Amino acid sequence: MTTTEHHESAAHEGLGPRQYVTIFAILTVVTVIELWLSYSDIGGLLIPLLILLSAFKFVVVVAYFMHLRFEPRILNRLFAGGFVLATLVLFALISLFWNDITHPLG
Amino acid sequence: MAAEAHAAPVHHATSTGTDNRKLLMWLFLASECLFFGSLIASFLVFKARMVLPPFPHAREIDSSLLAGLPEVIQEQCAHVVSDTLVECHGILDIPVTSASTFVLLGSSLAMVLAVYGAQHSRPGMMKAWLLITALLGLTFLGFQVYEFRTFGSEGLNLSTNQFGASFFVLTGFHGTHVGVGVVYLLSLLAASFRRNGLGPEAGFHVETAGLYWHFVDIVWIVIFTVLYLIPS
Repeated sequence: MTTTEHHESAAHEGLGPRQYVTIFAILTVVTVIELWLSYSDIGGLLIPLLILLSAFKFVVVVAYFMHLRFEPRILNRLFAGGFVLATLVLFALISLFWNDITHPLG
Repeated sequence: MAAEAHAAPVHHATSTGTDNRKLLMWLFLASECLFFGSLIASFLVFKARMVLPPFPHAREIDSSLLAGLPEVIQEQCAHVVSDTLVECHGILDIPVTSASTFVLLGSSLAMVLAVYGAQHSRPGMMKAWLLITALLGLTFLGFQVYEFRTFGSEGLNLSTNQFGASFFVLTGFHGTHVGVGVVYLLSLLAASFRRNGLGPEAGFHVETAGLYWHFVDIVWIVIFTVLYLIPS
């Protein structure tokens, strides 16, 4: 793997149209489940479940449609780094402002 | 086999073991994570502090808060719960947005098939799926225009309240990315009709465009859950 021969990810390790359609079908089913959950009354479980399903779809698209699973480690680390930083920014902003309801906005 | 060899891009050795152009695209996408992460965080912060309608989801508020608001907004809070409370209906149209979500998801499938065609020296397949991807992207944008216009007619715009500001900025930037993606794909499609097509690096060029397109899709996966499905 010294040069970019790895780069093409060997046409992505045998993934073909049939596999892509299967992945799409899985994503569609998960989206339908998300919709069903959003209309059902499952109380406190709703938000964790929705986040979990959304994260699953995110990972599947990145791993198989974007082929990151088959890419060199440096690309995985690069994208994971950006994602982790974004998550930290999200939690930082929310923790800064979440309880500040003394000056409600319009 | 010969055809596939022809489709293989010309690579130069790099210290990272991957094409620098692809590295750049992934770096760009990593930075985009920060961009959209900040916008989503802003939306969540504002969502927790919203006081005045229109609201994304149904909510009860003190009827005195409606004083001075435009009639079109007051009409959304016509359901009287008690002497002091009224219920405002949510402005988000989940079924319509779900349809647009499936359209964008379908465009990701079309994109990956275009990449497959490009990498396996099947220009016809590549062109057809590139066109379908772009058309699905345009359809998604059509849904977004419809949604924006509907919200506008219900009194929600950038300056109405914090929900309006954060909603339009977040979804507007995402829509802009979709628009840029459509232009990117159509440019590739147009270039593929040249005499030598996209050249020996066709697979690489389409794959790089695909990375951008799929990223737009994963951002929407997050937005759809956070903004539309998770209740206030």
